[in-house]
Amino acid sequence: MLLALLVPLRARTQTDVRIGIQASGTVKSPLLLASFRSSGGASGVAREVHDVARRDFDFSGVFAVADVEPLDSKLEPNPSAAGAVRVEGIVEGEGDGYQFTGEVFDLATAESMFKRTYPFRRAEAREIAHRFVDDVLEALTGERGICETKVAFIRSTGKVKEIWVMDYDGMNPYQLTHDRSLALSPTWAPWGTELAFTTYKRGNPDLYLFDLKRGASYPFSTRPGPNFAPAYSPDGKWVACALYRDGNSEIYLISRDAQTAKRLTRNSRIDSGPSFNPTGSQIVFSSDRSGSPQIYVMDAEGVSQRLLTLEGKYNDSPRWSPKGDRIAYAARHDGIFDVVVMDANGQRPFQVTSGAGHNENPQWSADGRKIYFSSTRQGRRQIFVMNADGSDVVQLTRGDECFNPAAGPRPRRPGVSRSG
Amino acid sequence: MRRSPWTLIFLLAAALLMLAVAQGCSSRRKSAPPAEVTPPPSTSENTNPDTEEPPPPATRPSDDESQANLRDAYFDYDDASLREDAKAALEGNARYMEGRSSARVVIEGHCDERGSVEYNLALGEKRARAAKEYLTTYGITSSRITTISYGKERPFDPGHSEEAWAKNRRAHFVAK
Repeated sequence: MLLALLVPLRARTQTDVRIGIQASGTVKSPLLLASFRSSGGASGVAREVHDVARRDFDFSGVFAVADVEPLDSKLEPNPSAAGAVRVEGIVEGEGDGYQFTGEVFDLATAESMFKRTYPFRRAEAREIAHRFVDDVLEALTGERGICETKVAFIRSTGKVKEIWVMDYDGMNPYQLTHDRSLALSPTWAPWGTELAFTTYKRGNPDLYLFDLKRGASYPFSTRPGPNFAPAYSPDGKWVACALYRDGNSEIYLISRDAQTAKRLTRNSRIDSGPSFNPTGSQIVFSSDRSGSPQIYVMDAEGVSQRLLTLEGKYNDSPRWSPKGDRIAYAARHDGIFDVVVMDANGQRPFQVTSGAGHNENPQWSADGRKIYFSSTRQGRRQIFVMNADGSDVVQLTRGDECFNPAAGPRPRRPGVSRSG
Repeated sequence: MRRSPWTLIFLLAAALLMLAVAQGCSSRRKSAPPAEVTPPPSTSENTNPDTEEPPPPATRPSDDESQANLRDAYFDYDDASLREDAKAALEGNARYMEGRSSARVVIEGHCDERGSVEYNLALGEKRARAAKEYLTTYGITSSRITTISYGKERPFDPGHSEEAWAKNRRAHFVAK
């Protein structure tokens, strides 16, 4: 009922990119991106760093990128260009040792807002461009970008479903598991080098943990019946999941060392799909205790369970946003699934996909600016990403069917300053 | 029963063929969990001509025979309750198993493609268990029945129509 009233944002944001004050979502800040200069034999590397950075700035959803030539004289203040920035860069070096220096100017004042030098090896050109753009985003908006994050997902080939991992923008996909079985529902540990997932490799749908550093997976919960829908607590000490050990699907917390299991839900219906709020004090989940799947919330001890979604007959797959203010989920209306974002208290549900196939599996990016999801809008299920308001939809996978995207956390780099 | 030499030769040839097929299947089946298809032909005792032993008690049917006699139960969308046609199929399965005390089955719970992977995993299990429970009301001991849910991951019909979905919402019986 309400879904019919939800105004699809797409119509509002699809066409025009407004020039104005830096903000998230629909209003984008102009960014003049100079082609990067180079010295020595670094012109090819400079072009690569530039091209990756250009894609990153564009992908961020924060900037409207325009290409310009490098400055040949001192930048003059231009008060009428308030809110716009200019990015200059130079790559120096040769052989395998390079350094990139990037600088961002406020066009209105002509002052430098950010400048940093990054030493790197040839093979790290892409990585260094990602880090630069994330640093710029952090310096300019206070919220670091996600260029360095990865997305895990399931790729289906014939009867086999394996976990794959790709860069945040769909580049460099590679196959992680080689079990030739069914892998489902991957989710990242907060420290970014481990995934929990369901696998049938020993017959029963069990929960395993994949250690990306060692390239191997280990059994985590292998109770008879489905062990599924894993989600780590923000401190990484617990994995919330659904188990079928009580005659029906209930949500449990299992300690990361697999020694302790705490049951959180108690009813005869299907409770599934847990997702923590960023402080770990609450868990949003889906339950069909009222007859069809709806979104509920409880505290992390399992008490104070209450219904959040008041509209729609079928709401599932809730995911709490990284800032804690919103919850994304998949809603079925008139037989079609679409991604809806609501306030964390269940108010103001807002449909962010529309008019194109089934759109499900919403997953927030680490900065909360993006939502990854699966969609049948091009036929076979594939993974897409959009700004959290539904604008700038980009298809990330092609070919074999792909689903269950899981956006990873930012890499932890101890000792590296995170401020500009 | 006294077997003629020709029968023995025929049975031997048939058994060898089945062995070859079974091996081909088992190497292929390593690549995927046991699931949707008819299990590979077994080389069970009563097809093995090398032993002169009589077939085991008549209550032990071959998997193929069991498979041919077991019917699947179908469900409505987002529902694990047993329809009348499902109950009829399950009753038939119960009667069949009743007369063959060593017959064991795996009940696979399946769903159509609509809805999340996770919800359907739970729904598939619910369907499989509903079928199992119904069999036990006919006196089939629960130790003879195991359940597994494949959720929406192993559709019988890959189509996206109501017709395909109806086929995919099932408790599928596999003789074990």
